[in-house]
Amino acid sequence: MRIAVVGCGQIADAHIQEARKIDGVEVVAVCDANLHMAEQAALRLAVPASYTDLERMLSEHKPDIVHITTPPATHLSIGRLAIAAGAHVYVEKPLTLELRETDELLEWALRHRRLVCVGHNHAFDAPALRARELFRSGLIGEVVHVEAMMGYDLTGAFGGAIMGDANHWVHGLPGGLPHNNISHPLSLVVPFLGEDAPSVTAVGRRLRPQRFGDRRDDWFDEIRVLLHAGGASAAITFSCRVRPVQMALAVYGTRQHVLASLESRTLRTVAPATAPGPFRRLQLARRDAVEARREFRGRVRDFLHARLQFFEGMNELMRQFYAATRGEGPEPIPASEARRVSWLIDEIFERCRAAEGAP
Amino acid sequence: MILVTGATGFLGQWVVRRLLERTTSPIRCLVRPGTNPPALRALAAQWPGRVLELHPAALPAPGQALDSALDGVRVVVHVAAGKQGSAPALVASTVVGSEALFQAALRAQLDRFVLVGSVGVHDTASLPRGATVDEDTPLERHPERRDPYTFSKHRQETLARAYARDRGLPLVVVRPGVIIGPTAEILVTRVGLQMFGLLLHLGGANRMPFTYVANCADALVLAATRPSLGADTFNIIDDDPPTSRQIVRAYRARVRPVPSIPLPRIALTPIARLNEWANRRSQGQVPIVFSRYDARTIWKKLVYSNRRAKSVLGWTPEVPMGEALDRTFESLAERQRDKGRFA
Repeated sequence: MRIAVVGCGQIADAHIQEARKIDGVEVVAVCDANLHMAEQAALRLAVPASYTDLERMLSEHKPDIVHITTPPATHLSIGRLAIAAGAHVYVEKPLTLELRETDELLEWALRHRRLVCVGHNHAFDAPALRARELFRSGLIGEVVHVEAMMGYDLTGAFGGAIMGDANHWVHGLPGGLPHNNISHPLSLVVPFLGEDAPSVTAVGRRLRPQRFGDRRDDWFDEIRVLLHAGGASAAITFSCRVRPVQMALAVYGTRQHVLASLESRTLRTVAPATAPGPFRRLQLARRDAVEARREFRGRVRDFLHARLQFFEGMNELMRQFYAATRGEGPEPIPASEARRVSWLIDEIFERCRAAEGAP
Repeated sequence: MILVTGATGFLGQWVVRRLLERTTSPIRCLVRPGTNPPALRALAAQWPGRVLELHPAALPAPGQALDSALDGVRVVVHVAAGKQGSAPALVASTVVGSEALFQAALRAQLDRFVLVGSVGVHDTASLPRGATVDEDTPLERHPERRDPYTFSKHRQETLARAYARDRGLPLVVVRPGVIIGPTAEILVTRVGLQMFGLLLHLGGANRMPFTYVANCADALVLAATRPSLGADTFNIIDDDPPTSRQIVRAYRARVRPVPSIPLPRIALTPIARLNEWANRRSQGQVPIVFSRYDARTIWKKLVYSNRRAKSVLGWTPEVPMGEALDRTFESLAERQRDKGRFA
């Protein structure tokens, strides 16, 4: 399969490296509006061709799949061009700036019989996949409540670069930095919520020092969301304060609970105790210890087999998407789910803004 | 009027200070919008009779913003550059940011554009051990094999040279060695790698191409102000550079007793080969800590010459190396004591 990447910023490296790990995949070209950005990616990652003209790249290389790793404000226009040129598109999150654009992109893809995959890669990290598998197998029972927590370090590699640059595109998103990230925890909880449109409650806070006097001070750095759909609820926390930074998922069902850490790549189930009286505590504690040992051994095995890759979820999502484009499997993220996350992002930031100033 | 970019940084602050001390020129500093840096405010207060303007603009800035920053400017000293981060992030800040400034400089028809480069951009892999590195040593042929910072500085200098060659940018390149001074980290990659609380000492008996920040600022002021200087390049390394081993010993004695494992030169290539194999085998799960190419470029015994800067610019490192190291170690020890107090 011939892959091209549009947008040569930091995340493009991961897309190129992960795509190349998949058999039969060739990264044929990169493209960026800035010549230096396109050239640096091609030179460092040994990509045979680099472009600043997207249409020229599409016509000369006719890629099967185009990865779009540009700022979200350009996803729709680039996606339309790539799809019109016959390519399927893998689009970094958030899929577009707003639901209206998402609908336009999905309809355009449907009309041209191409597939769109949004980069909700954390939903394809092993613990998240295992949690969904347990749900599908019926072990969790009916979902009562789901929680997802995402921490973000404003002084980290990405955070530091964003906070050091008032002109960074992230600050121009309707919801600023959390707008660029909240799709990750959303993508973890949405598969557990059924088909009904959830009701949304959301509150945003600015808890970091307001020291720039520009748009870097504008967005919320802590967001709490509560969703209700049918008999299930979901709570999402996005926080720039929580340490250690992590992504975690908890699913509480009518039969069992599942606690997953995407950081340590571990998963623990909590089943009802069967022992009598005070022995219940011992039984539960022993189960925790047994599961912790099993998970540790599993991660050691994963390490020895080179499965503890940083972008493991991205690689798995790409594999499933590439297979779907060849008709060899279902879409890993159906259009309906991508649309629902897009709608939820709009709703969350609208409610955060509306609730601003409320006690 | 002299414009200084990166004026709030470690080197930039010293450049502004030295311009105030050694010239009568009005000075304009490009600062990030919304900032009012205390260090520059203090300098302005110290020199009340001098023009020291703060001009808000972040690179890459739109052409119009840079045109206004360069209004009335005859000389630019371009210090600003990304220091840490991924290669794309550093290229975006250092290369893309600089190009906007090169273009504005051409429109402003400057007398001189002084670019702060890096002595790391030389092709040292091709040199034999013990060779001398000077301004005539070719540029790195494989910048993509080097660390992100060197990669971005190489591309920045290459681009500046293209602007000078093709469009007449009045370019003077000043390539400092490793800049030391108060608050600067001295256990740099050329000395070794710090991991798991240990120092993997790789520099051995190699002499470190250090320059003290104030000496380096002196060289930049000379490059900006010396009359009848044409397109030229200067490597800035202080005299009497210490060996890596001396630095580690002094650091352990004066700052903190960091556990250190010295790796003999002969072991570098086999370990690097093993690291590269593990990286390939694990599809990137095991990162490349150092490569064989690093061993051939960074941890090699070389002599860095400062003859050209001395003969053409008339530069002499005013602060001797012993004193420069004393000041650096004192500040690092102070920081270490502060850490202990807060802990």
